Amino acid sequence: MSIRFLNVSKTFGESKVVDDLSLEIADGEFVVLLGPSGCGKTTTLRMLAGLETITSGDIYIGDQRINDVPTQRRDLAMVFQSYALYPHMSIAENIAYPLRVRKLGRDERQNRVARVAKSLEIESLLDRKPRQLSGGERQRVALARAIVREPRAYLMDEPLSNLDARLRVQMRGELKRLQHQLGTTTIYVTHDQAEAMTLASRVAVMKKGRLQQFDTPLNIYNHPANRFVAEFVGSPSMNFIDGQIERGVFVSEEIKLPVMRGDGSVSLGIRPEHVHVFTQPQDGAIPARVYVTELMGNETFVFLTIGTHRLIARAPADFRAEVESTVWLRLETDKAHFFEKAKSTDYAE
Amino acid sequence: MPRSKRFFSALNRRELLLPYVLVAPALAVLLALSIYPLFYSIAISLQQETASGIVWTLAHFKRLATDNFFLTAMVHTFVYAVAALTCEFVLGLALALLLNQQMRGRAVFRASLLVPMMLPTVVVGIVWRLLLNPNFGAINGTLKQLGVNTESLTWTASPRLAFVAVIAVDVWQWTPFVFLVLLAGLQAIPQEPYEAALIDGSSRWQTFRHVTLPLLKPAILIVLLLRTMDLLRVFDQIFILTEGGPGFATELISLYIYRTAFRFSDFGYAAAMSFVLLALTNIVSLGYLRLLRDEKRNF
Amino acid sequence: MRKGIFKTGLLVLALVAALTPVYWMITISLKIERDQFAYPPKWFSFTPTIQHYYEAFVTRSFGQYLLTSAIVAVVSTACALVIGTLAAYALTRFQLPYNLDRKLSLWILSTRMFPAIVTAVPLFLMMRDLRLLNTRASLIVVYTAFNLPFVVWMMRGFFAEVPRDLEEAALVDGDSRLGALVRVVLPLVAPGLAATAVFCLIVSWNEFLFALVLTQTDAAMTLPVGIAGRVTQYEIKWGVMSAAGAVAMIPILVFALAMQRYLVRGLSLGAVKG
Repeated sequence: MSIRFLNVSKTFGESKVVDDLSLEIADGEFVVLLGPSGCGKTTTLRMLAGLETITSGDIYIGDQRINDVPTQRRDLAMVFQSYALYPHMSIAENIAYPLRVRKLGRDERQNRVARVAKSLEIESLLDRKPRQLSGGERQRVALARAIVREPRAYLMDEPLSNLDARLRVQMRGELKRLQHQLGTTTIYVTHDQAEAMTLASRVAVMKKGRLQQFDTPLNIYNHPANRFVAEFVGSPSMNFIDGQIERGVFVSEEIKLPVMRGDGSVSLGIRPEHVHVFTQPQDGAIPARVYVTELMGNETFVFLTIGTHRLIARAPADFRAEVESTVWLRLETDKAHFFEKAKSTDYAE
Repeated sequence: MPRSKRFFSALNRRELLLPYVLVAPALAVLLALSIYPLFYSIAISLQQETASGIVWTLAHFKRLATDNFFLTAMVHTFVYAVAALTCEFVLGLALALLLNQQMRGRAVFRASLLVPMMLPTVVVGIVWRLLLNPNFGAINGTLKQLGVNTESLTWTASPRLAFVAVIAVDVWQWTPFVFLVLLAGLQAIPQEPYEAALIDGSSRWQTFRHVTLPLLKPAILIVLLLRTMDLLRVFDQIFILTEGGPGFATELISLYIYRTAFRFSDFGYAAAMSFVLLALTNIVSLGYLRLLRDEKRNF
Repeated sequence: MRKGIFKTGLLVLALVAALTPVYWMITISLKIERDQFAYPPKWFSFTPTIQHYYEAFVTRSFGQYLLTSAIVAVVSTACALVIGTLAAYALTRFQLPYNLDRKLSLWILSTRMFPAIVTAVPLFLMMRDLRLLNTRASLIVVYTAFNLPFVVWMMRGFFAEVPRDLEEAALVDGDSRLGALVRVVLPLVAPGLAATAVFCLIVSWNEFLFALVLTQTDAAMTLPVGIAGRVTQYEIKWGVMSAAGAVAMIPILVFALAMQRYLVRGLSLGAVKG
């Protein structure tokens, strides 16, 4: 089912938590709402679910305007951050609950539960109670409960954030596979940009209730719409250097780079992987001082200072340099982004 | 999020009525049986039946000021409440402090201590009438065995002793309550403040004053509030134990109101007195509640 | 070590002080009259008899009083539970305008603070006018009103402990509001419901003043009033009184033992969690 948000806003008392949001989500897409806490992404999801009223605007599922449709009739499934498993029911009863409420026969219910449990590999847990399960197992039960209904769309509210790091990465992959198999529209909320990048077919980046950019992960990474998006997406995050462009040269303190851009006052953004570090002087390279290095095993993060600027560079795993030693940088200026400093809040490229 | 996490946010137009529908029966019952009687009571307290019918008058209230019985009953109630409350609080707190530790058989212990306060008040009255009987009661009997001269210990027959006895009965019945609530309050206090105080080098008395007491304050206030309310309106045990006697010695305000209404059928006057009693308990409870609220705000 | 002994001694002392008076009454109920008045007091060395129990419950009407007490307690508790729980749910989960939910809860609680005599007098007059004096119905109705504030206040506390998530999940899964309440929330507050029920039963069973005021005849008297009636009148038959008193105690002790986990919480109106 396709889902459309048309100029949707939500106000709580004095504050506008969601501000004029418009999104068109195609059937079968995996869309991630990404942003820092308080940006309105969870509220948007809850409005779609029917757990919050819509202050203004319309939401459509397919051709149906669902603003006034009560929650129970929207035919959506939701996975909560806390999983919200019914503590007094067994796992099987938990999963069967949506079917029971729809008055499905007992045999039919048992069949469906068994099928879903098998696909998520939780058959052995069916007779237990939620409190006997680990975090990862509970998460899969929550998923099972969502899947068993075959709803129009899945809504997920930071389902992985309560898992430990290793499990999170593992579940990410499984989720993606699952969604691919089921082919159902999915709306997923997270503040973790890695999750967004790996899971989504398209990402909607939000800040303070407003949509910043809605595009594929790759486009968001390579062509961020503004400085906020550029800084939020990517880890380690993008480096920013404020400076002036005069006659085709970007100048900021000791940094001078030839660039193909008109004159003006700009912020230069460059990702760490486009900053190359050398221990020996190079032609046209910029000298910098090492602040600290982090050996990640497969690569090395080098934290640098140039004058008052701080940069991060990604270097090969065998790169070594002493703290406070001098190294030489070469920046791939064709991969750099430029953000105007005209506006105080959102910068535009 | 600027709204409380407790409440449901989305209410369709249809559901807007639901909370009111759910609350309505309870409100109806309370209005009919708690609020309406109050107004009824206020009404009859302002009325008097005269030869020419029913007139509105403040006569009952004026009478209050000069009625010695009423004033005596109020004094009795006040003294009773203060004495009983003090004993119960001191005993209960002492017990709670001394016994604040993990102990085996806690369930049995707690259950046994409950017995006095769970008993029907009538039974409490009977139990103590039996014990205090000057001739064959166990108390005088045991005291006599120990060589004490019990000639003058005519508990329920002598005014002063009866008053003491009545207070003692309440202390017997309700100290466990104070003890249990304060104990629970004590055990809810986390270990960290005590550990910090120890490291800071504070003495036992200092720890008690600056750590224990402040953190125990909410429990103390609740206990004091509940006991005060109960003590001001006590009726049952006194009724069985002494019936307000001998003479007027243990007549507390609730008993006097009862007697005025149901022995002398002077309902108007009884209603006026009830009103005063209600006002008094309201003021006291408001005072406590304000203290409680201030406490909560500090956290 | 010495401290341990001192504390144990104190404990034992407290227990003895609490239980001895009750024990004495029970012995009176089991002693023949001569033993009752004996000096020195006979704590253990007497031959028990059940004649007083027989007299109380078979010969006299205490059996009927017992039945009345039971009926009134159970019915009024059931009514208070249903009405009160629904109201408590509404007040916990729904935000009413002008903070009404908060104000209503406090107001409901405040009705519990009234001295009984204040409403007993007008209720007597009201019941007299409605010709409902000396009926079980009047007691049931009054006890329901009496227990309602407590039920609302306690259940509010229990409902507040159930995370809102669960009901939202139930709604998204397709259940109605009331369906979610019954299938998801109520099972989770069941222990609290039981504890509250027991409290109401205890209070109703023990209640004296309203019963005294509203019932004068054998047909409608509750056990406490029945016991008291005999004490304040002429010849006091202590054996019979004690027997009735002992029986009156039994349900209470059973209940209290069963529910003692929630006891402190209930008695302090939820302020302190035992």
